[in-house]
Amino acid sequence: MTDNTAQGFTVPIGPQHPALKEPGHFQFTVDGEIVTRAYVRLGYAHRGIEKAAEARSWTQNLYLLERVCGICSHIHALAYSLAVEQLAGVEAPPRAQAIRVLVAELERIHSHFLWMGVSAHEAGFDTLFMYSWRDRETVMDLLEGLTGNRVNYSANLLGGVKFDLQAAQADSIRRGLDFLEQRTRHYLDVVSNDAMFLQRTRGIGVMTRAQAEVMGAVGPTARASNVGRDLRVEAPYAAYRDFPVRMALDERGDLEARFEVRIRELFESFRLIRQILDDLPPGELGVRLPRRIPAGEAVVRLEAPRGEVYYFVKSNGGDRPERLKVRTPTICNLTSVVRLAVGHQLADVPMILAGIDPCFSCNDRLVQLYQEETGEGRSMSWKDLRQYGIDFYARRQA
Amino acid sequence: MRKRFGTMLPDICRSLFRRPATGDYPFVAAVTPERLRGRLEWDPAACTGCGLCAMDCPASALAVAVLDRKARRFVLQYHLDRCIFCGQCVVSCRQGCLRMTGTPWELAALTRETFVTYFGDPTDVEQVLAVKPEEDPGTPG
Amino acid sequence: MNPLAALFALLIFPGGLSLLAAGLVYEWVDRKLLAGLHNRVGPRWFQPLADALKLLVKEEVVPEGVNQALFIGLPLVALAGALSAAVYVPLAGLAPVHSFPGDLIVVLYLLSLLTLGMGLAGTNTLDRFSLIGATRTLTQVFSYEAPFLMALLGAAVVAGSLSVSEICAYAGEHWLILTQPLGFVVALIGLMGKLEMPPFDAPEAHTEIVAGALTEYSGRGLAFFHLGRSVELVVGLTLVAAVYLGGLSSPVWFAVKTLALLLVMVGLQALLARLRIDQTVGLWWRYGALLVLVQWLVLILIQRS
Repeated sequence: MTDNTAQGFTVPIGPQHPALKEPGHFQFTVDGEIVTRAYVRLGYAHRGIEKAAEARSWTQNLYLLERVCGICSHIHALAYSLAVEQLAGVEAPPRAQAIRVLVAELERIHSHFLWMGVSAHEAGFDTLFMYSWRDRETVMDLLEGLTGNRVNYSANLLGGVKFDLQAAQADSIRRGLDFLEQRTRHYLDVVSNDAMFLQRTRGIGVMTRAQAEVMGAVGPTARASNVGRDLRVEAPYAAYRDFPVRMALDERGDLEARFEVRIRELFESFRLIRQILDDLPPGELGVRLPRRIPAGEAVVRLEAPRGEVYYFVKSNGGDRPERLKVRTPTICNLTSVVRLAVGHQLADVPMILAGIDPCFSCNDRLVQLYQEETGEGRSMSWKDLRQYGIDFYARRQA
Repeated sequence: MRKRFGTMLPDICRSLFRRPATGDYPFVAAVTPERLRGRLEWDPAACTGCGLCAMDCPASALAVAVLDRKARRFVLQYHLDRCIFCGQCVVSCRQGCLRMTGTPWELAALTRETFVTYFGDPTDVEQVLAVKPEEDPGTPG
Repeated sequence: MNPLAALFALLIFPGGLSLLAAGLVYEWVDRKLLAGLHNRVGPRWFQPLADALKLLVKEEVVPEGVNQALFIGLPLVALAGALSAAVYVPLAGLAPVHSFPGDLIVVLYLLSLLTLGMGLAGTNTLDRFSLIGATRTLTQVFSYEAPFLMALLGAAVVAGSLSVSEICAYAGEHWLILTQPLGFVVALIGLMGKLEMPPFDAPEAHTEIVAGALTEYSGRGLAFFHLGRSVELVVGLTLVAAVYLGGLSSPVWFAVKTLALLLVMVGLQALLARLRIDQTVGLWWRYGALLVLVQWLVLILIQRS
């Protein structure tokens, strides 16, 4: 109301808002119920992880980076391990790679079930929310039984994995997967046939293939718009070379397609995990890496549940990285939210936002400076920023 | 299948006659898996006091005090409240002295002091405490 | 009726305190059943009471820029409206405390006071979520109110009276759910709309607009609105059960029939995803109103012949 009317009626969502489980700030200018302008501001969960990584040893960073994301924790540790192994010029043994992929796929199942619940909740379909989260417990228990932890599995080591897969675990995973597969089939039926739910998903937030390519969408969000982007297929890493994946694509590009693509990916994950359990290669679980990693630069790209994760690691030959850069899929997909929300009803906005499976603390690694008077962005050189910091603290202490 | 209303009807009908999926945790003990990574345990027999465990710990939860390397007198200080249960120390220890146990896994306590454990011979521990009562590796910078 | 008996009926039983207690019990049943359908545990029996007490003892924050009298008065009006509506319906299977020809219309208006109060309370504040919520609340009133009213009028037509007690007496001999099934469906779903239950909870969709019209309310005002809704749940269930489910002849039948209705409503809540506000309006005017008109047409044809 305090905004001038020329700009319209703006609804602020976040940084604290029931629709967001993490802090992010969105402003939607609405005309009645129709969104006419959308704006996003990030940076509330900036934790300085990249800088902190420069102060820790190669081994310690494994666990720091696992905490970049609370849900796809394994994929970050895996990306980092692969990058460090690449720098050291070693490769983890096949059995270790297969176990890494196994955990990554279990994590994907966990993440997609979680996402399905959250999105259903945004649409006010709490029954689907409760049931999908109930069933998610199954896969979390499997991960706990396999790795010893429910969330940050810490399965990776530099050069391998921590544990082996035994017959008992393999059996419980198979049993769990049977249950999950049956449930997933049911959920596929629900999201593609429930008349009420389809009213909230069909034709909502349509992103065409061209748009998806221009906006650089990644992961299931892009695949729902028929962009064939899946690093497990395009640039297989770890054990995906030996255990190929089929890409799930959809050409509709709306929320329904995003639901269906993710659920079809679940089936692919079930198949892949069963195959890995059947054909687990024998051998060692890891190779030892030196404490000092040879100088060089490495780039690793992996397919996280939400899309492409990008890691850049630079070593100067010391016992800790010189520079580390992480790019998570949410930052690539957020553009699409801001673009797609315009023209939709306010009620659809949380659904569109949830449709990309956002993870704010994952992507909060950039800092944007605003001049308070104009609200415009401004860039600072490193020297200026350093001086600004010194002045800031000097002012605060004075 | 065709587009229809109430696709979740079978679920809710079944749930009417089923116990809640929620566990009765505080009243009924929760079953934990065999591999659960919980509290750390130290077996001094083979320890060489190399300190690799403390060096690799990402949370600065471990510190090794070497009293007498020849006589194998070591004290391992373990901060349970800092431990993130990643299990790196277990892997780092070449002598296999460390192990994470799943029982007991209810580790909450009301005071911070209860979280600090000193592993080692009681007299050695006393000696360590006498020398450095507030030894604290701190968090890495 | 002597004044003492009237006061007792208004303040203690069947209106007043016992009605508030019944409201809390029905709210608990609603939440517990929904939790059961979700395979959850759900609240313990005293949770609604605890919620209400907690809110009542809390400080009421009056935000800046509101009309204070309205901000404090509207919750009272809303609760009072719901409580007074109870006087005209056969609570606990007993005859209505007060009755006069045409009281059906009065009951329906009194029941709307709660929604109206919430809508006005939302527009009274400067909060954007409240304003959007209030707009949605008031929009929704215009969608379900007319079909709901017309559905109940269908019963009034066959009973030949606009008095709740006479309609109930007629309904005691005829199960209107069999003769007017369409009216029953519209009335039941209309009641869900009145109570802003899912799938008609767009006005308070917390993933979009926090708590809708009530975002700025805390403490006593919020407690009154919540209590008002609980009371309205009981009164609404009583009304629909009495009219369509063969009357409420005894407290046992009252409990059985209203709880059965509540079970159906909870089932619908669990099965349906939230509708957007445009979809709600579309649903009511495209299907709700149409169903009632078909019902009326049939009634008129039968009465003629």
